[in-house]
Amino acid sequence: MKKLLLAGAAALGATAAQADEVKIGSVAGVTGPIAEIIANLMEARDLAASHVNEQGGMFDGDTLTLVVADSGCDPNAAVDAGTKVVNVDQVVAIVGPNCSGATLSLAQSVAIPSGVVTLSESATSPAITGLDDNDLLFRAAPSDAYQGIALANFVLASGVSSVVVTYANDDYNAGLGAEFIKAFEAAGGTIAASQVHEPNKASYRSEVATLAAAGADAMVLFAYYGSSGVTIVRNSLETGAYTKIFGADGLVDEEFITQIGAENLTDAYFTTPGADDTTGSWKAYMDLASGLSAPTGPYVANAYDVTFLMALAVEKAGSTDRSLIAAALREVATPPGEVILPGEWAKAKALIAAGTDINYEGATGSIDFDAAGDVPGIYQLHTVTSEGTFKSELLK
Amino acid sequence: MDQLYGWGIYAISLLTFGGIYAVLTLGLNVQWGFTGLFNAGIAGFVAVGAYSSAILTKAFDASHLGGYGLPIPVGWIAAMVLSALIAWAIGRICIRLRSDYLAIATIGIAEILRLVLKNESWATNGPRGIPGVPKAWEHLPQPWDQVAFLLTVMAIVGLIYMALERAWRSPWGRVMTAIRDSEDAARAAGKNVEVFRLQSFILGAALMGLGGALMAQYARFIGPDSTDPVKATFLVWVMLIAGGSGNNRGAILGAVLIWTVWSMTEIVTSYLPREASVFGYEISNLPVRAAYLRIFLIGLVLQFILQRYSTGILPETRPAVAGTPPSGAQTRESTG
Repeated sequence: MKKLLLAGAAALGATAAQADEVKIGSVAGVTGPIAEIIANLMEARDLAASHVNEQGGMFDGDTLTLVVADSGCDPNAAVDAGTKVVNVDQVVAIVGPNCSGATLSLAQSVAIPSGVVTLSESATSPAITGLDDNDLLFRAAPSDAYQGIALANFVLASGVSSVVVTYANDDYNAGLGAEFIKAFEAAGGTIAASQVHEPNKASYRSEVATLAAAGADAMVLFAYYGSSGVTIVRNSLETGAYTKIFGADGLVDEEFITQIGAENLTDAYFTTPGADDTTGSWKAYMDLASGLSAPTGPYVANAYDVTFLMALAVEKAGSTDRSLIAAALREVATPPGEVILPGEWAKAKALIAAGTDINYEGATGSIDFDAAGDVPGIYQLHTVTSEGTFKSELLK
Repeated sequence: MDQLYGWGIYAISLLTFGGIYAVLTLGLNVQWGFTGLFNAGIAGFVAVGAYSSAILTKAFDASHLGGYGLPIPVGWIAAMVLSALIAWAIGRICIRLRSDYLAIATIGIAEILRLVLKNESWATNGPRGIPGVPKAWEHLPQPWDQVAFLLTVMAIVGLIYMALERAWRSPWGRVMTAIRDSEDAARAAGKNVEVFRLQSFILGAALMGLGGALMAQYARFIGPDSTDPVKATFLVWVMLIAGGSGNNRGAILGAVLIWTVWSMTEIVTSYLPREASVFGYEISNLPVRAAYLRIFLIGLVLQFILQRYSTGILPETRPAVAGTPPSGAQTRESTG
């Protein structure tokens, strides 16, 4: 402990001696239930910050520093993490946190009262849309309501009209599951059975047996692969209950294929809030992101986008004055303006210096915030190739 | 100047969280420190208190039960009453169980409570939780809202402390200690052990419900993730054991101290460089890894405290029978 404190003090002395830095809070559920997904997001945030710093940095060569704080996917921890970055580290703005509950508590009890802008890449709860936030809470992930509709339409379009649904009982998957059921029934599909399951059980045979008894054409599964997704799919394949499987983001990880086996997933389809991979901005991102562990993982591109966008907003505001960030964020994210692609920091910086309007087109889409600070959804469809990787295409 | 102001706000936040946890540790101290009831289901009572006060005080929201918009103190009282009622029902069934069996029963019951609250979506908005919980003094400008909330929490902790000190020194408190140290002796002295144990269980649970209500207000949000047993049950136990069970001041000290360690370690680890080379191993992305280092540090601090102060930092003092060594301390250490 003492050594660590000394090391900390030494590092503190070192940072004070450097050139000025512009701090942005990087709050994320580093520990907690979705830690393995978050690790990829953190790499993408760092990548965006490194692009900023390599191409001239902020203002007159100041360094952009991301101050990491752990919200642990826990609303109380998020309050603590937010208090630290806002007050102790005096950040200009916050990117993150990830889970909707943590985002809501951080924004309501810390960021909004302090006048700090929060921009989450992955909070999808519909409650965020209606929050009274003085225009301080933004997100670059579409509300669950949209993905439910997108997946329901895809399932029907692929010729399946009767499904069973099972979803993990956490805020993300349960929310998505409920939205899917609503959309699927509204579009004329039949839900033969629907069921909530608790994550982290050793076996889901009884749940799968109940679903099998309903006798539908396919199973729709909303779960994180690590906590219940793998086990449910395995149990379903073992018992021959369902081999045609539809799912969403929580399952899209190559670890999922490794554990189930690509040959067993030939009839599996997954949607994620994603990106149009035919656009120039997606290509620009992919060229830059090749060094990341999972450049196409869930919300990884979103994490890049929010960090880059927030840096642009601070640059546009021209100072670290927190009260200018929300307006600047809207200006740099939405048209009109010269289009800026991921990684084009030097170009953006020059345009901002010249007083030209810019419009960031992110890897995940145009990120044009509506009045509530939300973005419309673009969805990708993922299927499994025989090599054990995901093949992704845009869902029309 | 801004920096100083920032640290001030952070200190207020630390003390507020510490104070809220102190309400929980004081509740646990009544159950474990006074009477020796091993309640491993704190999270359940926290959840009951948090949800009930949030639902009663919040304005109408279509996604869950509510729209009562009652004053915040009513929410506090309702949280205590409801937690007490549930504790009474549980206690009627389980209070005769010996400490380790009671622990198993309370873990199970707390999980049942949490799962019910998580699944009854019509009332609690299910796993999505309840945003926008009204917080006391939220309409004051910064930083006065924070200061006023901290003072409120401190006043509540102070009141509970004074009441519990009275109770501890009273004949009632002595009966509790007697039951903890030797149930048979207390029974032989003509005390109705079950009734006293039940009283202690209910009183402690009411305080835990109040702590939950304060927690929901402070985060302005309550959802299933907020009452994760690691932070709502086991962290409270760590606080009480480190601070000194059986000592009300120890309970408060433990809560503030452990929360401070928990929170401040992140500031220490945030100064770590992004990459480092240790004994030739390249370690990348240190800030992310450091988040796990914090959890390790908590364990280390607890080890240090327990090695250095085997009965907690402020050990129990026995006002009633001065001069006698606390015989209960030995046996309780092994289970704690």
